[in-house]
Amino acid sequence: MAADSPSTVRDGFGTVSRTAGVVFRYALLAATLLGILAVGILFVYVANDAIQPFTADPGWHLTFFLTLVVPTLAVGYSLSGRGEGSLRVGLESLGLLAVMPLFAGGVAVLFLSILPALVVFSFAVALAIPLAAIVALQRTRQVGFVAKLVAAAVVTVASLLFVPNFIQNVPVIPVEWLLVALTIGAPTAAIAGAYAAASWNDRRVGRIAALAALGGVLVGGLVGSLTGVGGIAATVLATVAGVPVGLYVATVVDQHPTRREGLLLPLVVLGGMLLGAFLVRTVGFAGPASWLDWAFVTSDNSFSAESAGIYPALAGSIMLMLIVSLASFPIGIGAAVYLEEYAGNSRLTRLIEVNIANLAGVPSVVYGLLGLGLLARMLEDGLPVFPAVVADPLGLEPIRVGGDLFGIGTVFVGGLTLSLLILPIVIISSQEAIRSVPPSQRQASYGMGATRWQTVKNVVLPKAFPGILTGTILALGRAIGETAPLLVIGAPNEFGIPQELSSRVGAMPLQIYAWATTSGTEEFYTKVIPAGVVVLLVAMLAMNSVAIVLRNRYRQRN
Amino acid sequence: MKSEDTTSQAVEEQEDMSDPTDDDMLIQTDVSDSVSAGSSTVTDTVVEAKDINVWYDDDQALHDISLAIPERQVTAMIGPSGCGKSTFLRCINRMNDLIDAARVDGELYLGDKNVYDADVDPVALRRRVGMVFQKPNPFPKSIRENVLYGLKVQGIDADYDKVVEESLRKAALWDEVKDRLDESGLELSGGQQQRLCIARAIAPDPEVILMDEPASALDPIATSQIEDLIADLAEQYTVVIVTHNMQQAARISDKTAVFLTGGELVEFDDTQKIFENPESERVEDYITGKFG
Repeated sequence: MAADSPSTVRDGFGTVSRTAGVVFRYALLAATLLGILAVGILFVYVANDAIQPFTADPGWHLTFFLTLVVPTLAVGYSLSGRGEGSLRVGLESLGLLAVMPLFAGGVAVLFLSILPALVVFSFAVALAIPLAAIVALQRTRQVGFVAKLVAAAVVTVASLLFVPNFIQNVPVIPVEWLLVALTIGAPTAAIAGAYAAASWNDRRVGRIAALAALGGVLVGGLVGSLTGVGGIAATVLATVAGVPVGLYVATVVDQHPTRREGLLLPLVVLGGMLLGAFLVRTVGFAGPASWLDWAFVTSDNSFSAESAGIYPALAGSIMLMLIVSLASFPIGIGAAVYLEEYAGNSRLTRLIEVNIANLAGVPSVVYGLLGLGLLARMLEDGLPVFPAVVADPLGLEPIRVGGDLFGIGTVFVGGLTLSLLILPIVIISSQEAIRSVPPSQRQASYGMGATRWQTVKNVVLPKAFPGILTGTILALGRAIGETAPLLVIGAPNEFGIPQELSSRVGAMPLQIYAWATTSGTEEFYTKVIPAGVVVLLVAMLAMNSVAIVLRNRYRQRN
Repeated sequence: MKSEDTTSQAVEEQEDMSDPTDDDMLIQTDVSDSVSAGSSTVTDTVVEAKDINVWYDDDQALHDISLAIPERQVTAMIGPSGCGKSTFLRCINRMNDLIDAARVDGELYLGDKNVYDADVDPVALRRRVGMVFQKPNPFPKSIRENVLYGLKVQGIDADYDKVVEESLRKAALWDEVKDRLDESGLELSGGQQQRLCIARAIAPDPEVILMDEPASALDPIATSQIEDLIADLAEQYTVVIVTHNMQQAARISDKTAVFLTGGELVEFDDTQKIFENPESERVEDYITGKFG
């Protein structure tokens, strides 16, 4: 039929109007950029107040521009031209170098100001003993499950009851940094060894990596204690920052030789910073009169803006994060695993899931009221192990435990309140991670005659773990910025470093709020508060960056 | 299954084994040779279904399925999509229990035991029945750990190295992976992954191996490797395979069950008879491609 009718295509095909589509597209772009723009303005505004870059000599800016910015951009450009992922290696190593020392700082705060090294070490040993016993029990096949469970429980309780006391009373105590090195360095070295063994496919490499990591930590601690850095700080830095960076560099150098050039980027940045600092000092250019400096991060709070520091609040936030992660992680994952793998699709399950979704949206101040009513007031005298309702008719004394932990405005109550606040988020994100494990994997496991528990343990949890961790870290990022619930449970305006679980709660957002309300002078508003906000945001972003990296790696593997 | 069951229908199902249709597959001759050699006496029935009905909520997926699957032979289930052949396969190791909506009624004997008896633990049952799925689904573990998964969850103590080698040899994968047993199973090609899944299924030495369209996600070369492998496996194991590829059923199976839409078993007989001279007109229409 086409042959019969003459073709209408004589002068091309004409055009179709796309005006509406183009307008729509750019409106969407504007909506997208608005969010980024707002965040950008916030950062620039706050950082400008906190760091005051324009108080520096132009020569200072020029020096660093020439030694740091220009070489970095040049190396980055040449790396991106080279391809083969070397730019990615450069950025990743730079990111590691930037973020890991921050975490090292956080862990160092824990050891320096909150937890005595000997106490932590004694509890670490007390936990390591039952762990080793459980591993040994799992290997034996003669004993039944109940016997194993009883044995493990007995060992755990006995170890926790006697070992810490015993170790703390040993007359000869090694130097503190050595204890820290054993407490965190040994497990880190073990993990590094396992990682190396897996990625090189060679157990010998794993053993070498573990030994190298432990050796590095010990050398770091020794050097730190001999120089002015301090043994504990240097040990923590070597463990938390040194080992991962070393492992990353070793992996790149040995397994991706084509991407080796990427490691130039962090070298150039570090070198540029050192060279710039050296030049600036020799020539005598003045740097910016930054409010956010080492003294601000490490000194106590004060009523005068000049000497006000954020250290107690930083330590308080770290303590809170420790409690929140210990409390919300196991409960949240437990609930998620139950809802996804065990609970059927009953009406009750659906009701629970809807409620959890609703709880995730409940305002944080309401959680504060829950914490105040339940944890601070009702449990003020401790958990009723043997409640008065039962004890009084029997003529016995009621027993309550942990009376000092609960009460108005303690760190423990603050941590539990924040845990309740993020628990729904942890549950929902863990559920999503578990749901994303392909059903074919479960089928394969069940088809091999695995029980539900074996399937969850061997197949579901390992595959869902990165996703679960991502969600949990993002939830922690929300908890670190919460102020309202802490205010409601009776957090004080002035607080010191929380030494125990029963100390008064303190946190960075709380400190910022206190500065804004009680010490509201011009100096505080324009300098101290922005500096505090930058510290808070850096802490939050460092945590989130871990979550983002984990998520990206996880996606690549799927 | 060393069943002593002599009262089963195996006797009446038993017929002279001869070479099914295609003879361009080299392995084909091996199978029929071995089968006819092994079946000089009466072949025992391993799996026997009696009036199996399956519902998904209110939809009935299978209607009164009764058939007897002979030992150490390949039994194929063919039929159009949605005819219930996979559902029947999953009845054998009670994988349907994992689907909330599924309800199974009837009797299904593995050896002398009805697997739907109240005292049967489905997990224990699945330890006697290996299963290979449509899409290769190795675990994100090493090749070695994949093969040993069944032994480890079942708590079987054995010489692990020996089991790994034997299973991979039986799955015709040993030569390709013997130097990289610690690498992840996910790094293998699709066909290799499926053979790894077969090695995983046979490692705990099951009595029956169920295969749910094991080659449908693979390219022709990998498919023919899997088909050769199935023929080899039938020397030692009872293999039940679901396929929607009629040529495949004709090439590799000794018995064929034809399911047609609505979940009915229309005909079950020797493969050669089904493909050359079926009793039912509907089966003939299906096989000659008039419908389905």
